[in-house]
Amino acid sequence: MIRGMRSERTKTDHIPIHLKNVGIQFFISGERDVSLRKDGISAFRAAFSRRPKQAFWALRDISLEVRKGEILGIIGGNGAGKSTLLKIIAGIYPASAGDVEVRGTVAPLIELGGAINPELSGAENIFLLGSIYRIPRREIKRRFDEIVEFSGLRRFIETPVKNYSSGMFIRLAFSTIIFFQPDIVLIDEVFSVGDEVFQQKSFEKILGFKEKGATIVLVSHDLGLIEQICGRALVLSRGRAAFLGTAGEAVVKYHERLRKGEALDAEGATSDTAEAVARLKAAGVNIRRWGNRKVEIGRISFVGKDGKPKAAFAPGEYFEARIPYESKLGGGERPIFGAAIHTIYKMLIYGPNTLGSGWGVAGEAGEESRGAGHESGAGGLGKREGEGRGEGEEHGYGAGHPIPPRGVVRFVIPELPLFPGDYLFSASAYDPSLSIAYDHHDMSYFFSVVAGAGAGVGGAVSSREFGLVKIKSSWTIEP
Amino acid sequence: MLRQIRETLAFRELLRNLTLTELKLRYRDSVLGFLWTVLNPLLFLLILAFVFSRLIRFEIPRYTLFLFTGLTSWLMIQQTVVIATASIVNNQGLIRKVAVPKLVFPLSNVLARYVDHGALLVILLVFVPIYGAAMGWSLLFLPVAVALHVLFSLGLSLLCAVAYIKVRDVQNIVGVVFQALFYATPILYPVEVLPEKFRAVLLWNPFYYFVEMVRAPVYRGALPGAGDSAVAAALAVGVCAAGLWIFSRKEKYFVFHLS
Repeated sequence: MIRGMRSERTKTDHIPIHLKNVGIQFFISGERDVSLRKDGISAFRAAFSRRPKQAFWALRDISLEVRKGEILGIIGGNGAGKSTLLKIIAGIYPASAGDVEVRGTVAPLIELGGAINPELSGAENIFLLGSIYRIPRREIKRRFDEIVEFSGLRRFIETPVKNYSSGMFIRLAFSTIIFFQPDIVLIDEVFSVGDEVFQQKSFEKILGFKEKGATIVLVSHDLGLIEQICGRALVLSRGRAAFLGTAGEAVVKYHERLRKGEALDAEGATSDTAEAVARLKAAGVNIRRWGNRKVEIGRISFVGKDGKPKAAFAPGEYFEARIPYESKLGGGERPIFGAAIHTIYKMLIYGPNTLGSGWGVAGEAGEESRGAGHESGAGGLGKREGEGRGEGEEHGYGAGHPIPPRGVVRFVIPELPLFPGDYLFSASAYDPSLSIAYDHHDMSYFFSVVAGAGAGVGGAVSSREFGLVKIKSSWTIEP
Repeated sequence: MLRQIRETLAFRELLRNLTLTELKLRYRDSVLGFLWTVLNPLLFLLILAFVFSRLIRFEIPRYTLFLFTGLTSWLMIQQTVVIATASIVNNQGLIRKVAVPKLVFPLSNVLARYVDHGALLVILLVFVPIYGAAMGWSLLFLPVAVALHVLFSLGLSLLCAVAYIKVRDVQNIVGVVFQALFYATPILYPVEVLPEKFRAVLLWNPFYYFVEMVRAPVYRGALPGAGDSAVAAALAVGVCAAGLWIFSRKEKYFVFHLS
C-alpha cells in the first residue's frame, strides 16, 4: 500500500510507524439516520436541521513509535480501542487529531474475510486479494501454486467462495497476503480461526516476516501470545494509552487493572449507554444482542464472594454473575434464564440454563458452599442442583410460579474450574420452549481467570495441570 | 485530488479486477450472458420505435435511427450513474476493512458500464447502413463523443455517490429525476416539435448537448455544431472535475458513514 504518500515526511527509516497525539472521534447519533422512509415531516426536519451530534473520542492522545523489525503487542478490554488503532495505522480510519506517519507497504491482516468476494472462486479471489494488497499480478501468478498449497484448499480452488466455511475463508485470504513481503504487518486476532496446524504454519510465516525486517503490530486477547512474541506492548484503556513498555510488564499491568475491575468497567461489557455501544461498534466488536425484550436483561456484573464487583478471578475461586432483569410477562409465564462461558475464540465451554439445572434457593446463592459434594452444581443457575429445585418451589419460584417482575438472577459457580485466561460470558432469557428469545446478550461480557488473583480454594488448578477446565478426576494404579 | 488520482492509478490492478469481476458476475448464471447487455436496450428501442413511429407517428425520416442515437447517448449516462451511485455503499464491506483509494469503486462501475455501452455502440453502427444513412467521416467524431459521455457520467456518478453515502434516499431520487429528464430531453422527439418558447428551456438541459454529440455524426452525418460541442465539453470537464474534487475531499470520511 502506498501509505508513504499519506505522510509528507518521515522522520527516519527505522521508525516505520510514528503516531503523535493521535485521536479519533466518532459521532454517536445523526450519522446515517436521515431517511425519507420516516414519516414525511419529521424526515424533512431531520434532513434539514443540524441535530447536535454527540461526539466521543474512541482514541485519544496516543503517541507511539514502532521500530523496524519490532513486534509490538496491543492489549486492552473489548472496546478499549485496539482494533481502531490498528485501523488508523492501516489507513482505514482517518485520525481526527494528531499525526500519523506510516512508512512502507502495509499488510493489514484485519477482518480478513471482508476483502473476499463470495461470488468468485477461490482462485479468482486470490487475484482480487492480491490487487487489494497491491501484490503485482505476475508475482501472484508466479507463486499461485505455493499459495494454494499453503492454504490447503486445492480441491476447492475453483469453487465459489460462498460455499467455503469461515475457516476456509480466512485461510484463503491469509495464504494470499502472507506470500508477499510487506514492511509492516498488522494483525488483529487472525489466529482465532483455522485449525491448529494452519495457525502454527501462519505463525511461523509471520515470525519469518520479522526475521526479514518487517515490523509487526499485533492485537490479541491472548496474553500468553503477547508475552511470548512481543518485545513491547501497549495497554489501552478507554481509548487512552495506559501503559507502554516491555510485554511482560504490560501484561502484569493489564492484569492489575483487571483485578481492580477498572479496565472492564466501561469497555468490557455491553452497557446500554450510547457511548459504550458506539465504542464497541467502532472497535468492530459485534454487539450481539437479540430478543423481543419481554424479559429484559440489564447490565451483568461479576462479583466475588464478598459481593463486590470484580473482573479477574483465581482458579477455584467463588464466581458469581449477577443478571438483573425486568419481566413484562403476565400470568404464569416463566422465562428460562441461561448463561454461557466461552473462550475468547468463541468456543463454548459450558452453557447451562434454568430449565436443565433448576433454581437454587433465593438468598442462599451467595453463601458458602456447604460441602464439596455440591461442586457438581458448578455452572447450574443457583448453586444446588436437583434438591435445590424442590426448595426453590417452596420459595415460590418453582415451576408454574411467576417470577418477580424485576430482580437479579445470580449465577454462581462455587469453585471456578477454569484455568488462567480470558473468557467471554453470555446471558439470556428465553421462553419455556427455548424457541423465543426474550433477551440474549451473546458473548458480550468478559472476565479473566488469573493465577493468584485471589484466594484460591481447594479446587484451584495447580501449575502441574494443563488445559482449559479442571475436570474432577483421580488416578489409581492396579497391579 | 491529484493525490487521489495518483493513488488510484497505483491501484489500477484492483480497478481492472473489480471491473472484470463486475462484468463476470453479472452474466455468470444467465443463459444468454453478455447478449442481454445488447438485447435489453435493443428491445427497449424496438418498443419505443414501434410506439412512436407506428402509433404516434412523428414525421421523421429514419425514425428508428433517430431514436437509437438519442437513446444511446441517454443510456450511456443514465445507466452508468444509476449504478455507480451505489458504488461506495455496495462496497462498504471492503472499505471498512482495507485501505484502498475509494475512487476505484465508482470508476470500476463506470468502466464496466462502458464496456457494455461499447457493445451498444457497435450495434448502433450496424444500424446506420441498414437504415440507409451514410457511413461518413463524421463517424470519426464518435470516440470524442463517447469520451465526453465518460467524463460527464463519471462526474455525476461521483457526486451522486457522495450524496448517497449521507442520505440513502438519493438513489431513489436519482431514478426519478432521470425518468423525468428522459422525457424532457429530445430523445423521442426532435427539438422542432417543441413550441418556440420551450426551446430556450431546452438549452438548460445538459443532456440535450450530449444527445447532439451522438445524433449529429451518426444520424445527420455531420459534425455537431461548434457551440453545442463547446457546451458539452465544458459540462463534461466541469462536472467531472467537480465530482473528483468533492469525492477526494470527502473520501476519507466515508468509512464513518458506512456500517
